[in-house]
Amino acid sequence: MPIKRVAPGVVKVEPRKLSVSERLYLPQVVAGMFLTLRHLLKNLFNLKKLPIISYPEVKRVYSERFRGRHILTTREDGTTRCVACYMCSTACPAECITIEAGEDERTREKFPVRYDIDLLRCVFCGYCVDACPEDAIYMTRDYEMAIDTRARAVVGLRDLVVPPNFPVEPMGWRPYYGPLEKKGTAGGTGLGQPLRQAPYPDEAPLNPDIFRGA
Amino acid sequence: MSTLTRYSAIPYTGPAPTNREPFVPVDAPKMDARGADLAGRLRVEQERGQDLPTLVVEKERIVEVLGALKHDLRFTLPLDLWAVDYPKREKRFDVMYQLYSLDNNERVRLKVPVDEDEAVESSTTVYKGFDWFEREVYDMYGVRFDGHPNLRRILTHEAFQGHALRKDYDPAQRWLCTEKDVAQLIPKVDPRFENLDTDFERVTLNLGPSHPATHGTMRIVVTLDGEKIIGADQEIGYLHRCFEKSCETHTYQQAIPFTDRLNYMSAIINNVGYCMAVEKLLALEVPTRAHYVRLVLSEFMRIADHLVCIGTNLVDMGALTNFWYLFQPREEIYGLIEACCGARLLPSYTRIGGLAVDVPPDFLEKAQRLVNMLPKYIDDVEKLVDRNKIFLDRVIGVAPISPEDAIDFGFTGPCLRACGVPFDVRKATPYLGYETYDWDVPIAEGGDTHARYLVRMEEMRQSLRILQQAIHRGLPPGPVMVDNPYVALPPKEKVYNEMESLIYHFKLIMHGIQPPVGETYFPVEGGNGELGFYIVSDGTKNPYRVRCRPPCFAIYQAYGRMITGQTIPDAIAALGSLNIIAGELDR
Repeated sequence: MPIKRVAPGVVKVEPRKLSVSERLYLPQVVAGMFLTLRHLLKNLFNLKKLPIISYPEVKRVYSERFRGRHILTTREDGTTRCVACYMCSTACPAECITIEAGEDERTREKFPVRYDIDLLRCVFCGYCVDACPEDAIYMTRDYEMAIDTRARAVVGLRDLVVPPNFPVEPMGWRPYYGPLEKKGTAGGTGLGQPLRQAPYPDEAPLNPDIFRGA
Repeated sequence: MSTLTRYSAIPYTGPAPTNREPFVPVDAPKMDARGADLAGRLRVEQERGQDLPTLVVEKERIVEVLGALKHDLRFTLPLDLWAVDYPKREKRFDVMYQLYSLDNNERVRLKVPVDEDEAVESSTTVYKGFDWFEREVYDMYGVRFDGHPNLRRILTHEAFQGHALRKDYDPAQRWLCTEKDVAQLIPKVDPRFENLDTDFERVTLNLGPSHPATHGTMRIVVTLDGEKIIGADQEIGYLHRCFEKSCETHTYQQAIPFTDRLNYMSAIINNVGYCMAVEKLLALEVPTRAHYVRLVLSEFMRIADHLVCIGTNLVDMGALTNFWYLFQPREEIYGLIEACCGARLLPSYTRIGGLAVDVPPDFLEKAQRLVNMLPKYIDDVEKLVDRNKIFLDRVIGVAPISPEDAIDFGFTGPCLRACGVPFDVRKATPYLGYETYDWDVPIAEGGDTHARYLVRMEEMRQSLRILQQAIHRGLPPGPVMVDNPYVALPPKEKVYNEMESLIYHFKLIMHGIQPPVGETYFPVEGGNGELGFYIVSDGTKNPYRVRCRPPCFAIYQAYGRMITGQTIPDAIAALGSLNIIAGELDR
């Protein structure tokens, strides 16, 4: 496109003047066909570099910051890191997190007896991860969350909690990247719950639609 | 404050936010002087200590004052009209006007205090562009405008009761709109075609709200005489979710994901605009690294916005190949955004005070790769359509608008520049350091669909110029977030290990950011034009009022007038070239 400077910092784009051959529809149509033909040939000889992802056989590789479905991490002794402080549900702009706190009779420590995330309300902004002071909630790179009923969209402790020493590398959005020293409670004494017992009742049905990482 | 910093583990030495004291903008004295000058000339009162010259006008005199501002003082561009509700005041509502002078590059804000049962004289006789804005204020606040030609609800539906943005409106209420509530919309026939003598029967046709060519939910009703459109009306609000009310019920940080959903084609620009408005209110000094990343991603987003606009516009006209050529680089741009913040379309990347997280180490290489590959795709599209007579016949002279009309309707952005008016917020009031880059504002002549295509193509190249210079300069070192525990969450290492930081962390999540009492306006150049955020703070954690100046809204109200006299295929071509994004239009 011809460009003319009309003032400092302002350029004027002028429409191209068409030559005689351009005014006859055909030559330009043929030229356009040649351009698409070039793309076709280039793609034919470069089939491996096609900008195509054959989903679901091939999946896009997302970065380590991807904000997918959440998980709740576990201390090494098997207790969940969450202390039911309600910071994530306060920070959540979509109001999708419901927490009910319980108290351990021996140690008077808080832990969640209910932790529900409504994935249909969730906007995947990552604010819960940023807000957590206990290193307890992470987001995974799992983005396949198709469900067939609305009730299934609500995921609870049974679906969110992962086993101890769950690898961090395939995770998505997380509170920090790289190694970090934890001296405080975030490392976890684990006194909140009986040792080696899952924080949810065993009879709670497993949500079959939810990816569980391992 | 000194007691806190003494044993603070965080090296913050500045003052605590004095949220009960009023906000005083840096340029308040200059604005006060200009405001006093204007107030003297117009014989109205002035409000001091604002970031724009602010005049307080009685409701009886508003049309006279607006007329004088437009004709004598050359404030020709009507930017925005909105209202703020102060239930405890004697006069409950402040109806606000913002005008811009293209000649002198200055803005002015007018306030008209109105009570609940009072009406303001309609300003549509002075500025055509205030038509829909007045309807919006009527819809959201119930303020009546005397002499408005078509004062009915615009964003909410016919069965809606109450006025959503009033402070006493409960946002949990739901109103069901059934078929029998909906009034039939029959567009007024343009006087030019009233006595058209043809053999055709007049037909009223609905385009949308859900139509493949509208790219969003908006309804266009046209009256046809044969193939000619002799009257058109638009109805909007199908995607209305009351973004502004949602902001009032959430904290300042929580509103950032909502801004993503305004113009979702260039979400980072919305994030930046909102965050910079709040930062202006907080008088924050944001690190240069954060500003740099904001600029680079804003320009990439602008390119992505234009790629989608041109791509879909060409698809509507039957040129599907271009769509593939343009969407390929767009995918790559979203890949870069995802590498930075973990989401493609709705990034929520910026935070008040900087960015959520630093960019990945290979950010500049990725950006350079994109800048290298983008021109090829733009050139391919140009080769395909630029000299193609089929395309040119479809766009030249289609849905033109004159510069005078465009200004009067409040056009900004590429649609205004296509009329030959070189107004760009990045040049007029530079932010993020745009003034330090060498780039040009592209304009074109004619204001038709072709001119809009030309301007967008050239704007992408200018954005690439900015990006190339930015990449050459390199990432500035340093943090991406301010070092202020009243605004930014402390680093996780400190939160896990230090009590002090944990308290700051807790305070910030629970009590939010509490800016000083005051109001401010900050405009940025969005993909479609001036995107401004006007924020009123009452010192609490929730914004008292957030007003988003939507560029699409002003542009789309002229659409019916632009397509009158054209045909249906022309209307489709024109709609694509205006780049109406329903998320921003309806908010």
